[in-house]
Amino acid sequence: MKMLRRALVALGIAGAIAAVLRVRGTGGVPPQGGGWQELTDDAL
Amino acid sequence: MTSIAVLGVGAVGARVARQVLSSESSIDVVLRDERAARLDTVARSLGEGARIDTGTYAEPLDVDVVVLAGPPGTHLEPARRFVAAGIAVVSVSDEITEVRALLDLDVEARERGVTVAVGTGFAPGMSCVLAAHAASRFDSVDEIHVAKVGTGGPACARQHHRALRGRALDWRDHGWAQRPAGSGRELCWFPDPVGAEDCYRAALPDGLLLVPAFPGVGRVTARMAATRRDRLTARLPMLWPSHPEGGPGAIRVEVRGRRGTSRDVRVLGVMDRPAVAAGAVAALTATWATQGRLRRAGAAGLAELVDPAPFLSELRRRGVRAAVFQHDAGPAPL
Repeated sequence: MKMLRRALVALGIAGAIAAVLRVRGTGGVPPQGGGWQELTDDAL
Repeated sequence: MTSIAVLGVGAVGARVARQVLSSESSIDVVLRDERAARLDTVARSLGEGARIDTGTYAEPLDVDVVVLAGPPGTHLEPARRFVAAGIAVVSVSDEITEVRALLDLDVEARERGVTVAVGTGFAPGMSCVLAAHAASRFDSVDEIHVAKVGTGGPACARQHHRALRGRALDWRDHGWAQRPAGSGRELCWFPDPVGAEDCYRAALPDGLLLVPAFPGVGRVTARMAATRRDRLTARLPMLWPSHPEGGPGAIRVEVRGRRGTSRDVRVLGVMDRPAVAAGAVAALTATWATQGRLRRAGAAGLAELVDPAPFLSELRRRGVRAAVFQHDAGPAPL
């Protein structure tokens, strides 16, 4: 019984950590330069 | 007189009909929808040139091209019937199993000499044209990465919700790999004013349409922007009613390839309301189908079916403007 409780607690903690990681995750790196320019007929 | 039938007059279908009627005086439009009141409202707003047909989606029609603009999941049976009748089909479906089934009509469509244009909306659709245009600068294409943000009407919003709980299809090392939707977070930089959005894998059909168009491509991925709430509630029924139409959306298509001995990357994008842009893309595809300007018979995506430069030029004339990310165009907006 004690073992089962420990397993359930461990699973709960792992689930909570996974949920936090899924929601928060890690961010990407935005472009450090450049920008968008419209494609004109000449550029097409 | 050339006729185009639009089956489904929701946010996208109504735009398709309006685009066709406003740009082509020699084409009349037949409208079908299961919602009689909606059908009547749209037909009245379009005026002359649009007429109502009260048949079901799959009943026969005497037209040159059929645009399937109903909710995802309603396209396959009508497509089968119209292909069997020798009528060209343009589908805006973005549902992965339906797109695969529509592509399976390729053999029959080729035999009958008709075209089935698959995935002709915002993404897939505009995204396929942008990929083809970006790829035209390369001798060979190594990778294509598509990302999108935004939804059109309620059916599109529901499909967005479903896509986040499905399985994503990545083309990796010349084979398909399934990944959980909602994984693979990536910060994607869309044309202004949308800017940066976190994007995730989702059950999107772009790869199914792009891989056959670029033989030898090593990687193709598709992602879509999602909020934390979207991801947490993806496995539940939609908790809030869908909005009549979403706000601004955008597409970003990154193509990596070889030119001569060098490798390079080209990033194209577009910012617009997804239903408006999807309507313009589907309407132009249908118009090109009536003019015999699609490249071949059979079932395929727009990367295979259209010459991208004149297609984008015509879309630009209609107000859907593509953009290119210039790495040396000064600092990016923050």
